[in-house]
Amino acid sequence: MIYNNSLLNKVFFYKSIISVFLLISCYVKSQRVLTVGGNNWTVAVPSITEAGSNYSGTYESASNQVLLNASVPLLLGNGKITVRYEPNPNWDSSLILQARRTGNGTTACVACTLTGGTSYVMIPLTDVELFRIQATLALASYTNIPVQLQLSGVSVTIPAATYNSRIIFTISAL
Amino acid sequence: MRSRMKHFGINTVIFLMVSCRISAQSTGNRTVAVTLPVVTLIDVEPSSPVTLSYSAPADAGRPVALPSVNMTKWVNYTSAIALGGISRRITASVNQVISGVDIKVQASGASGSGGGTLGIPSAQITLTTAAQTIISGIGGAFTGNGANNGHQLSISLTTNTYANLSARTNTPVIITYTITE
Repeated sequence: MIYNNSLLNKVFFYKSIISVFLLISCYVKSQRVLTVGGNNWTVAVPSITEAGSNYSGTYESASNQVLLNASVPLLLGNGKITVRYEPNPNWDSSLILQARRTGNGTTACVACTLTGGTSYVMIPLTDVELFRIQATLALASYTNIPVQLQLSGVSVTIPAATYNSRIIFTISAL
Repeated sequence: MRSRMKHFGINTVIFLMVSCRISAQSTGNRTVAVTLPVVTLIDVEPSSPVTLSYSAPADAGRPVALPSVNMTKWVNYTSAIALGGISRRITASVNQVISGVDIKVQASGASGSGGGTLGIPSAQITLTTAAQTIISGIGGAFTGNGANNGHQLSISLTTNTYANLSARTNTPVIITYTITE
C-alpha cells in the first residue's frame, strides 16, 4: 500500500511537470493572437459606356472593410501584422492589391501603440509588414483595427473573367 | 485516489491542448473578387457627316474633278475578350452604291492614348453593301476616345465608269462600321 502511494505520488509529480511544460510551451506558442473580421470585398467595377475608354483602373473598398483583432502579451512586448495574397484560384498578376490601416481600433491599454501601415502597402505573394503593435506595461489587445483595401491595374487588356484572391493577415514576432 | 489523479492528469492535458489550440490563432483572411466582363464597343468620331462632292471643270473637255480625300474620321473601340478568345475585326459596308462611283476607305495604324492589342489595318477597300474587313487582330484593347485617338480613316471617291456618272445632289450613303469576331 505504501509502495502504491509512493508510485502514485511519482506519477502525479511527473504529470504535473508535463502539465507545466505544456502550459509554458502553449504560452510561448500562443504568444500573439490575431483574428480577422469585417467583410469579404466584391469589387464593383462600373461598365464602360464609351467606345475607346478603359476602366478607371483603381477602386477602393470601405475604409473598414477588414477589421483586425490583435493582442500581444506584455511578456513579448511587440508584434507585427503582415499581409500577403494568394490566388483563389484565379488571379491576374496585373491586378494590384494594396492595404492600409485607417484607424487604431479600440484598446484599453493607454501606453500601447500601433505604428505604420497608414499609407497603402502593396500586397505581394509573400508576407510584407503592414503595421506593428507595441505592448507597454500591459497586454496590448486591440479590437476592430480598420483596414482598407485598394485594387488597381483593372483594364480591358486583362482577359475577361472573374478573379478571386485571398488576403491573408498574420501576426508574428518582429 | 488513483482514479481521481488519473482523471486529473488526462483532463489537464486535454484542457491545455484545447486551450492552446484555441489561443494559437495567428492568421486569418478575407477574400477579394472582381469580375471583368467581355466588352465590345465601337464608335466613329466626330459624328458629323462627311460631304464628298465632285466639282465641275473650268475648261471644256476636262473631266469633273474628284473631291479631296477626307481624313476627319477616327475609329474608336474598346475590346475585352476572354482568355484564349478569338480576336476581333472591324468591317465596313455601305447601304447603297452609286453608279459610276467607288467609295474607298482605309484605316491607318492606331495612334493616340490607347493601349493593349490594337488592330492592324487592311489595305484600302472599295465599299459595297457586303461587309469587308478594314481592321483585324484586335485583342484586349482600347483606343482612347474622340478624334486623334484610334485609327484615322481615309475616305475617298473615285470614278469607276465615267459613262455611268449622272448629276445628282445630296445622295446620302451610310457607311456602317461593325466590330465582330
